Amino acid sequence: MEMNRRHMLSLLAAGGSAVALPGLAFGDTSVDPVFAAFEAASRDDPWTLGFTDAPAEGLQATARRLHGRIPAGLSGVLHRNGPARFSRNDWRYRHWFDGDGMVHAWRLDRGSDVTHTARFVQTRKWQAEQAAGRFLYPAFGSQPPNGRGLHGPDDINAANTSVMMVNGELMALWEGGSAWRMDPDTLDSRGPRNWGEGLGGLPFSAHPKVDPDGTIWNFGQAASHDMLVMYRIGVDGQLRQADIIHDIPGGMIHDFAVTDRSLVFLVGNLAFRRMQMPFLDSFGWDDSRGMRVIAIDKGDWSRRRTWELPPGFLFHVGGAWEDPDGTIHVDAALSDTAEVATGHARDVMLGTPRLEHQSLSRMRQITLYPDGRAEQAVFTDLCAEFPQVDPRYTGLARRFTWHVGWPDGHLRGATQLVQRDVISGQTRRYDFGADIVVEEPLFVPSSERSEEGEGWLVHTALNKAARATELHVFDAQRLEDGPVTSWRLPYACPLGFHGCWRDI
Amino acid sequence: MIASMMTAILLATSAGLASDSDARLTVTIEGLAPQGAVMMALYADEANWNGGEAIEGRRVEVSGSTVSVEFASLPSGTYAIRYFHDVDGDGELDTNLMGIPSEPFGFSNNARGNFGPASWADSAFSVAPGGNAHALHLD
Repeated sequence: MEMNRRHMLSLLAAGGSAVALPGLAFGDTSVDPVFAAFEAASRDDPWTLGFTDAPAEGLQATARRLHGRIPAGLSGVLHRNGPARFSRNDWRYRHWFDGDGMVHAWRLDRGSDVTHTARFVQTRKWQAEQAAGRFLYPAFGSQPPNGRGLHGPDDINAANTSVMMVNGELMALWEGGSAWRMDPDTLDSRGPRNWGEGLGGLPFSAHPKVDPDGTIWNFGQAASHDMLVMYRIGVDGQLRQADIIHDIPGGMIHDFAVTDRSLVFLVGNLAFRRMQMPFLDSFGWDDSRGMRVIAIDKGDWSRRRTWELPPGFLFHVGGAWEDPDGTIHVDAALSDTAEVATGHARDVMLGTPRLEHQSLSRMRQITLYPDGRAEQAVFTDLCAEFPQVDPRYTGLARRFTWHVGWPDGHLRGATQLVQRDVISGQTRRYDFGADIVVEEPLFVPSSERSEEGEGWLVHTALNKAARATELHVFDAQRLEDGPVTSWRLPYACPLGFHGCWRDI
Repeated sequence: MIASMMTAILLATSAGLASDSDARLTVTIEGLAPQGAVMMALYADEANWNGGEAIEGRRVEVSGSTVSVEFASLPSGTYAIRYFHDVDGDGELDTNLMGIPSEPFGFSNNARGNFGPASWADSAFSVAPGGNAHALHLD
């Protein structure tokens, strides 16, 4: 693979030293106001349990059965990842996404009690900061006092966003640096995955897509240079193809979609402006153009089609498919602003959400026509995040997306589980009520031959009243019936982001 | 830019030393793996540090965990250093596809940058008349 030295540094580029931010220079003896604010909020509001530091040694317990039984055929491990360490030495991160990644393993097996194990990913950052007793490095949205500089993005790899299985190995995923290899049974960390020459330390995003034949597609973004690195990985976990793709606008890209022929990127309007520290401050809202949509040919990465949608912001895409004439259908949880990333994710570090920063993301079904026209249907019935599809239908025509939902004005996470027909918009739902914070649901088919949607939804949730984290299993087609079985841990875990299901 | 250090070293010349070269500088680097070479560039002012040329460059083979780099005749004054460990000995700072260095690198004062090279202010140090020693650690 030819190395391309013309393109300096994704994260390391655009030199200059750290920009000192007002209000962040605290002496050793003064109180960190963010740390103090969260301490105060956590005395009254159990929602803050979702953003409280997990113990450094990890967590382990057998869950208590609340009702029901694990369905026959649902035998596996739900792995999840999310930020779980936010403060050290009485200094607290400013942004939710900065916390160190903790990887969970919930083991489900009919006839046995559900068990839970969680461990922090032993990144270089975690190990150095654990030894030092304080944060040493700038993070995505925070600048700890007396921080060190960086040699590369993996110095600050928090490995805190998602997990995936690759050829029997568990990977903890971030989006600014390497995937971090882990033993799926012990959750021992094995170090960064280098996919091949010239690829060490490159960004590897947290939402890889897996074709029905097992081929893994992923990207990494260098927003400062309007470019992506694209990866195609075989079912054996070995790299098949990787290359730089230029002229991808530097709007923050967290997720993408695949069809059987295309790689589909929705580029939101939170755009890279100039390198600043912390890194998030390099981005600003730019709606001088619409949201760009770019479809890259899977077989020839130099071929692309583009569309434009009204300005917007997104983290997550549901799924996509492509008609014979090239029309692409894709659904995503889209909002009109980026307040969730620039406002709400900072509020949660203070422990008090603010109405003006609420996330109003809604599912939208987007149609991209071969003649360049783009249309979207907005499902305004409720707010939505964490869309998921039946994984067997990745890239293929399908009917369903499952997602979490919440009513406008509810500021403390999702309260509902939703199945949505992506064509009609019709939903089936279960509303847990305001005591529950619903986390990402994963669809697990009941058998390899079952129809689309025949299977279970497995998800975790924070029960604020019980001050404990729970696991629920639903019949994916009968959400309104409520969970078929529910289990509760003797403790609350920090809220996580994304997971994967591993059959056993 | 860090990669410009490589160019700077290649372009560096030992010509043009001022006649009032009254100082010697010995730079030691610890923490090396015993292979390849250390490539070092010495800068004398901020403007050149930020994209100009080094006043001197050195290539020193690495056979142990430490190397010593000599600048035998310098005017006393303020300097800063960029260096990298050319582990595979190809004379270049290897990078990944996006240009992020994949070989170890460092700066004088053991300074570090954030998403870029360390600043002149963090890297600059004084060289006095006579002998001077500057100790660095590669981590």
